[in-house]
Amino acid sequence: MIKVKDVTKRFGNITAVDKACFSLNAGESLALLGVNGAGKSTLIKCVLGILDYSGEITLNGLNIKENEKEAKSLAGYVPQEPLFYDMRTRDVLGFFGSIRRVRSSRVDEVLDLVGLKEHERKSTSELSGGMRQRLSFAIALLSDPEVLILDEPTSNLDAGARGDFLNLIKEYKNKGKTVLFSSHRLDEVDLLADRALFMESGKVVFEGRPENLQELLGLKITINLVVPQGSVERAIGILAREGFHNAESNGRGLNIETDSKQRVDVLKKLLQEEIPISDFKIQEPSMENIIDRIKENGY
Amino acid sequence: MDIKNVLLIVRKEAGESIKNRWFLLYTICFSLLALLVLFLASSRSEIAGYSGFGKTAASLINLVLLFVPLIALVTGAISISSERENGTLSYLLSHPITKSEIFVGKFIGTLIPIWFSISLGFGLAGVGVAIGGGEGDVSKYITTAFLSALLAASLLSIGLLVSVYSKRASKSIGIAVFLWLLFIILGDLGIMGTTVAMGLGIEQVFALALLNPAEVFKIASVLALSPRFEILGPVGIYAVRTFGKEGVFYLLFGIMLLWTLIPLGYAYLAFTRFRKEEI
Repeated sequence: MIKVKDVTKRFGNITAVDKACFSLNAGESLALLGVNGAGKSTLIKCVLGILDYSGEITLNGLNIKENEKEAKSLAGYVPQEPLFYDMRTRDVLGFFGSIRRVRSSRVDEVLDLVGLKEHERKSTSELSGGMRQRLSFAIALLSDPEVLILDEPTSNLDAGARGDFLNLIKEYKNKGKTVLFSSHRLDEVDLLADRALFMESGKVVFEGRPENLQELLGLKITINLVVPQGSVERAIGILAREGFHNAESNGRGLNIETDSKQRVDVLKKLLQEEIPISDFKIQEPSMENIIDRIKENGY
Repeated sequence: MDIKNVLLIVRKEAGESIKNRWFLLYTICFSLLALLVLFLASSRSEIAGYSGFGKTAASLINLVLLFVPLIALVTGAISISSERENGTLSYLLSHPITKSEIFVGKFIGTLIPIWFSISLGFGLAGVGVAIGGGEGDVSKYITTAFLSALLAASLLSIGLLVSVYSKRASKSIGIAVFLWLLFIILGDLGIMGTTVAMGLGIEQVFALALLNPAEVFKIASVLALSPRFEILGPVGIYAVRTFGKEGVFYLLFGIMLLWTLIPLGYAYLAFTRFRKEEI
C-alpha cells in the first residue's frame, strides 16, 4: 500500500529524514516512533506529498510526485494540531468534501460517526481540543480512504478525549484499513500497531512488532505503589520471595521495576498478602530509554 | 488545473474577505469618501476642465491612489504567508488539490472583493452624478474605474509575491506597508529627488515614472480624462508628443498589465516550483 524508498529530506544544512525505507501492506498498521525532532512528522509530510524530497514514495503503486492528486485521494490525514479555517463545523467538512468530490450526505455520515452532529453549526474556534481532533478525523474519513495517516494525533488531548479518539482509530483499523501513525507512547503502539518503526535523527534505526518489543529490548516498566510506611518492608520481602527483586522504598511506598506482562501479578501478590495499597501508577519506559536500549543492543 | 478546485478556493477567499472586519471598514470608508468626493466636486462648477462624471472621476483618482494600493498590497501579502504561518496551507496541501489551483484561487478570490469595493465606491458616486444631471462623458468615468481595478490587480500581484517569500504574516504586512509608502507617498518625491540629484532628461524621468505602478495609473487616468494633457507637465507633453495621446494611453495600459503579469507570474512560479520546501 505504501512504499518508502531511500527518502531524504533536507532543510538547508539539516537532514530531517535520512534515507528512510519502509513498506506498509494493505490492512496493516505501522507506528513511527521516536523522540521530538526524530523526523517522524517530516517523513509523514513527505508521504502525503506536502513536502518535496529525494527518493521514492508510492501509495498503492502511484508515485506521489507524478500522480499527486490520485495518490493524495487515497489517504486521509490527521495532523498533530487540528487546523481549520474559521468556518462552521459543517462548512469545513463541506469544503474538504468538495475537494475530495464526495456526495454531500457523506458530511452527515461522518458527523454522526465522530459524534459531532450536535456541534455542526458551531464555528471551529468554539470547539474543544478533543472535538477539533474529532473533526480532523471526520475530514480524514470523508472519502472513506484506504489509508489513514495520523501525526501524533493524541498529543494535545486529555486522558478522556485521548481514549475516545484511540477507539475511533481502532474501529477504523478493524475495518481492514491501512494505518500509518506517529507517536511517542508505547501504549498507543500496543493498541493500534502491527509493526513499529523507530526513528532517530532522521534515520530508521529499528523495526519490530509491538507484542515482543519490550521483551526484545529488555524494557521494564516501573510500578509506583502508595502503601503505609509500616508495610513497605513487608511488601519488599513478599515481592523478593516471589522473584521480584527490583523493589525499593520511595518515601510514600515503593517502586517495583518489572516486565510489562507481570504488572498484574505484582498487584495480585501484594493484595493476597493483604498489603493495603491506596494508589498506584505505572510508568512506561520513555522514548529516550527505548532509543538508548536500541543503541546499546546495536539493532 | 481543475477549475472546480480553483472555484472552491475563490469562494473560500472571497467569503473570508467579506467576513473580515478590516475589509468591511475599508469598503465602507472608500464608499463614504467617494460620496464625499462627489459632494465636494459638485459644489464647484469646474475643476481643471472637468465637469460631471469627469470631475468626479478626477477627484476619485487621489482616493483610489490612497486606498486601493494599501488594501491590495496587504491582502495579497497575507494571503499565503498567514496560511503558511498557521499551518492551514500544509493541511490543505494534504488533500487532492495542487499548489497551482490554490494560487490561482487565492488571486481571483482576493481580487473579487477588492474589485467589488472599487465598483461600490465608483458606482455610488456615479449614481450621484447621474441623479445630479450626469454631465460629461460616462465612458471616461468607467475607464478610470477600470484603471483602478487594474491598479488593484497589479498591487495584489506584488503583494502575493511578497507573501510567497514571507514565512510570517507580520513580516509580509510590514513589507506591504513599506511598498505602499514607497509607491504612494515617496513615489513623487523619489522621482523629483532623483531627477534633481542626477540631472535626468525628460525621457528618463518618464521612464522612471513607469517603474511605479501607482504613477502609471495616475498618468493614464489623467490622460483618459483630460482634454488638456498639459496638466501633466513637461513629462506629459514629452510623452504625448513622442507616442501620441492614444499611444501613451495604450503604452501605460500595457505597462500596468505588465505590472500585474510579471509579479503574478513570478509569484506563481516561486510558489509552485522554486520554493517547494517552504510550506
